[in-house]
Amino acid sequence: MAVDFWLIARILIFPGFTFILLLTLFCDWIERKLEARIQNRVGPMVAGPAGLFQPLADFIKLLTKEEIEPRNAKKIVFKFAPLAAFAMMVFAMCFLPIDGGSVISTSGFPGDLVVILTFSTIASFMLFLSGWASSNPYGTISSARVLTQFLGYDIPLFILALTPAFIAGSLSIFAIASYQVTKVVPFIIMAPWAFILFLITIQAELEKDPFDVPDAESELVGGIETEYTGAKLAFLHLTRDVQIVFGAALIVELFLGGPYGPVIGGLPAFWYSLWFVLKLLAVVIVTEYVTTLFARLRIDQVLSANWKIILPLAVLSLMLTVAMITWVYPVL
Amino acid sequence: MWRRTASHIFTKPATTKYPFVKPKLPEDFRGKPNYTIRTCNMIDLSGTQRQIGFDVQKLVNTNCTVCARDCPAFAIEIVEVDGKKRPQFDLNKCIFCNQCVESCPRNAITASTEYELATTDKKSLIIRPNPKEASK
Amino acid sequence: MANNEVDIVKVIESKFGSKVQVQPGLLGTAAINTNGLHREVLKAMVEADAKTGITAITGLDLGANLGVIFHVHTEKGFFGLRAEVPKEKPRLQTITDIIPGALFHELEVSDLFGIMFDGNELKGHFLLSENWPEGIFPLRKDVNPAEVKLGPSPPEEKIPEDKKIVKFIIGPQHPALLEPEKFSVTVEGEVVTKVEPRIGYVHRGIEKSAETRTYVQDVYLVERVCGICNACHAHGFVGAVEKILKTDVPPRAKYLRVIALELNRLHSHLLTLGHAGLEIGYETLFQYFWRDREPIMDLIELTSGNRVYASLMTIGGVRRDLKDTDIPKIKTTLSDLKKKLPFYRKVYTDEPSIRARMQNEGVLAKEDAIKLCVVGPVARGSGYDIDVRKDDPYEAYGEIPFKEIVYKTGDTWARMNVRMDELEESINIIEYALDNMPKGPFRVDVPRYVPIGEAIHRVEAPRGELFYYVKGNGSASPERVKIRTPTYANIPAFLKTAIGENIADVPPNFVSLDPCFSCTDR
Repeated sequence: MAVDFWLIARILIFPGFTFILLLTLFCDWIERKLEARIQNRVGPMVAGPAGLFQPLADFIKLLTKEEIEPRNAKKIVFKFAPLAAFAMMVFAMCFLPIDGGSVISTSGFPGDLVVILTFSTIASFMLFLSGWASSNPYGTISSARVLTQFLGYDIPLFILALTPAFIAGSLSIFAIASYQVTKVVPFIIMAPWAFILFLITIQAELEKDPFDVPDAESELVGGIETEYTGAKLAFLHLTRDVQIVFGAALIVELFLGGPYGPVIGGLPAFWYSLWFVLKLLAVVIVTEYVTTLFARLRIDQVLSANWKIILPLAVLSLMLTVAMITWVYPVL
Repeated sequence: MWRRTASHIFTKPATTKYPFVKPKLPEDFRGKPNYTIRTCNMIDLSGTQRQIGFDVQKLVNTNCTVCARDCPAFAIEIVEVDGKKRPQFDLNKCIFCNQCVESCPRNAITASTEYELATTDKKSLIIRPNPKEASK
Repeated sequence: MANNEVDIVKVIESKFGSKVQVQPGLLGTAAINTNGLHREVLKAMVEADAKTGITAITGLDLGANLGVIFHVHTEKGFFGLRAEVPKEKPRLQTITDIIPGALFHELEVSDLFGIMFDGNELKGHFLLSENWPEGIFPLRKDVNPAEVKLGPSPPEEKIPEDKKIVKFIIGPQHPALLEPEKFSVTVEGEVVTKVEPRIGYVHRGIEKSAETRTYVQDVYLVERVCGICNACHAHGFVGAVEKILKTDVPPRAKYLRVIALELNRLHSHLLTLGHAGLEIGYETLFQYFWRDREPIMDLIELTSGNRVYASLMTIGGVRRDLKDTDIPKIKTTLSDLKKKLPFYRKVYTDEPSIRARMQNEGVLAKEDAIKLCVVGPVARGSGYDIDVRKDDPYEAYGEIPFKEIVYKTGDTWARMNVRMDELEESINIIEYALDNMPKGPFRVDVPRYVPIGEAIHRVEAPRGELFYYVKGNGSASPERVKIRTPTYANIPAFLKTAIGENIADVPPNFVSLDPCFSCTDR
C-alpha cells in the first residue's frame, strides 16, 4: 500500500490538526482581548506581541503541572474522557470544507452534516463523563447540568441545521456550502430567522453567557473541571475552545457560504482558507460580544427557555422555510 | 448597555500598566518612615548599603523610647549602638502607620513615599543606625 | 425624641420598683442593674415597644463574678441591662425565646467566657477552633492564650449515605465567598431546606489582644478588624474612648471624620455592587464597578496617605488636615462618579438578566427583620428604617442634611438598590461637608491614662450598625473592648431567607447581605 504523503500532510498540518490547533489558540486570544477591551482593561499583553502567545503559554504551563487523581475517581474514564472529547471535536472539524476541500475527502458524502453533529454530541457526552467520573459533589452536580443543557439544546440545533439542508436539497455540507455561492445568495439572507435562532442555540451549546450555568464559578467552584489538573485540564480547556471554533465553523458553513468567496488571482485554496478564517473570526467576535453583555441565567430558566421558547420557534422556523422555498422563492 | 460596551472597545483601557508605568502618588502618602533628604548612610544587618537614614544627631540626648512604646506592630526595638540606645526598625513587621513619626518628641523620624521595598533577603529590611555615624 | 425612652424607663420603674436600679445617662439612654430579673425586664420592654431588639451581649470578667451586659435597642433609646453570675456556677437564663436575634450573641459569650445559657446550650465550639481544649475560656483574665496547648485536629466529617438528601458545603475555601466560612446547605434536588453555619475561621482574638496593648496601639489594631470598613472601626473605638475621657473633639475634626467615613461607604458599596454582579455571572458589570472604585481609592489615598487603611482617626481628633488645594480634586472625582450613577441605575432597573436573578429572591419580611435584629441595608431593604446616623447622630451628622433610603420589598434587588441610592447620598454628604468645613484645630491632646469608666459608641458602617463598648480601668490599656459587627447580626437573616430557594440563588442572596467575615470573627 503506497503511503499517501499528501494525505498525511493534509491531516496533520493543513487544514488538519496543526491548523485547527493554531486557529483555536488564535480565537482564544481574540476572545480574551475583546472581552478585556469591552470591560475597559488590557487583557493579555506580555506573552508575545500584544499577548498573542498567551493561550499557548497557558497550555504549556498546564502540561508541566502535577497530575493529581482523587482516590474515588473512576480511573479509566477520568484519564481518557478529556482526551476522547478533544479527539472527537477535532475529528468533527475535519469534515468541514476549509480550503475548498475537507481534510479527509475532497467532496464529502451525503449525510455528513448529521455525522458531524453526532460527533459533537458524543464529545459533549465525554465532557459530561469527565465531570461524572470525578467523584466530587461539585463535579457531579455540574455534569448533570451539562447533560441536561446540551441534550436539551441538541434538538433545536438539529432542526435548525436542517433548514439550510432543506434549501440546498442535500445533507452534505459541501453541497450546502457551494449551493449558497453558486446558485443563490448565502442562507443568512434567505432564512435570517433560522440564522438568529441558530446563533442562540449555538450559544447554549457552547455554554457561554447567558447559558453559562454548568461553569458557574460562584456556586460550583470549577464545574466539571474541579478535580482536573495538569495535562488533562489542558485538554479540557482545549476541547472547550475547539467547541467554540466548531460552532462558529458550522455557522459559517451553513449560513455564510463556507469558504467560498471571490478568488482574486492565484491559488484558489489560499483564498478559500482566507475567507473561511475571516468569516469564522467575525462569528467568534459576535458570540463573544453577546457573552460579555449578559449575566447568567439559572438552570431552570435555561431549560424553560429551551422547551418553551427555542424549540417551538425552531419548529416554526423550519415550517416557514419550507413554505418560503415551495411557494415564495421560485417566484423571485 | 450594549451601546456602552460596544463603545468601550475603542476607548483606552483604564488599567495602569504597572510596573512599566509607575503611578503618581500624593505627596503625603504613607510609605516607609525615616527618610530625610540629607542622610548618613546606615548599614543594615546584611551588609549592603541602603540609602535610608534618619537624622541621627537629634537623637543624641533623647533616650525616650516613645517610638518603641507606641508602635502598634512592635516593629521598633531599642538596641545598643556604640554605647547609646538607638531604635532599630524592622520593616518586615512595620505597618506604615507613621505613628512613630508623630510620637517622636524630637522629630527625628520623618515619613517618606517609598513603597517599593520588596526584597529577597529578609535581613536587609532590618535597619539600624551605623555605629560610625552615630557617635558623631 | 424624649417621649419614647422616658416611657420605657417609667414602665420599668413602675413595674419593678426597687428590685432594679436604673442609672440614666450610662451606656446609652440608661443602664439597668437587673439583679437576676433580666428576662422579666426584657419581656416588659418588648411588650412596651415592639421594635425592641438586642444589639450585643458583652461578657465581662469582674474578678470573683462574671458579668453580662445585654445591650438592648428600642425604637428611640438604647439600654444596657446588667447581670452578674458567680464564677463557680455561671448559668443564666436565655433570652432567645423573647428575642430570637440573640442566638449568636449568647453562643459567643458561652464560648469565650464560659457562661452557659439555659435553653441555648453550646455544643462544641462556636467561634474558637475545634481543637481548642474544653474548659479554658480565653477572654477571662486568668487565661493567657499563648500558653494554651491545642488538642488534635478533629476527625473528617462523614458525608451521610442517604442518597436523596445531599449536604452541599459552601466550604471555607470557595470562589463565591471573599473570606472563609463554612455553610452546610442541605438540599433536596435543587431546593435548599436548611443552612448550618460554622463561623470562626478568621478569629484572631482581637478583643483579647486589645486588652494587652495601649490605647494608642489599639486604634491601629481595631482598624484591622476589617479592611473595607476600617475607618468605621477606628471611629467606633475612638468615639467610645472619648466618651470615657469626656473630651470635646474640635468641629473641624468632626467634619473631617465624616468625610473619611463617607469615603469608606462609597468604596464599600461600589465593591459590593460589583461583587453582586460577579455572583450572577455578570463579569462586565463587575469590572465596570471596580473601575469606578479606583478613583475613590485614590481619594482615600489623597486624604489619608494609604489606599485601604486610612488610619486617620486618633483619640482627640484626626491625624492630619485636609489641604485646601486638595478640595477641587476631590470634588472633580466625585462629580465624575455622580455622572456615572444614572447609567448604573438604568442597568439595575432595565437589564433583564439582573431582574430575572435578583427580583423576588431571598425575601426578608419586615417582621422577621425586626425580630432577628438585622441592621444596615439589609434592614432598610425590607422596610425597617434604622440608621444610626439618623437615630443617634454622632460627629457632624446632626448638622448635615441627607435622606435615609428605605425600600419595602425586601428582596435581593431592593437591598442592592438601597446601596446604589446611598452612593448618591454619600456624595452629597461629602460635598456638603467640604463646603461647610469650619476652620480651626483638628486635634486636641489627650492623656495616655484613661480613668475608670465605660462607654458605648455606635457607628453606621457601610454594612450596618457597628457597636463598640470600651471599659477603662485607669491604666494605659483598656480593661475590655467589645465589638459587635454588622455582618454578625445579619447572618441569622441569611439562614432564614435561604430556605426554599434554588441553590443557584444562594450566592446572590448571600452577597446581597454584604458579608464581611473578618468583621464577623474578629
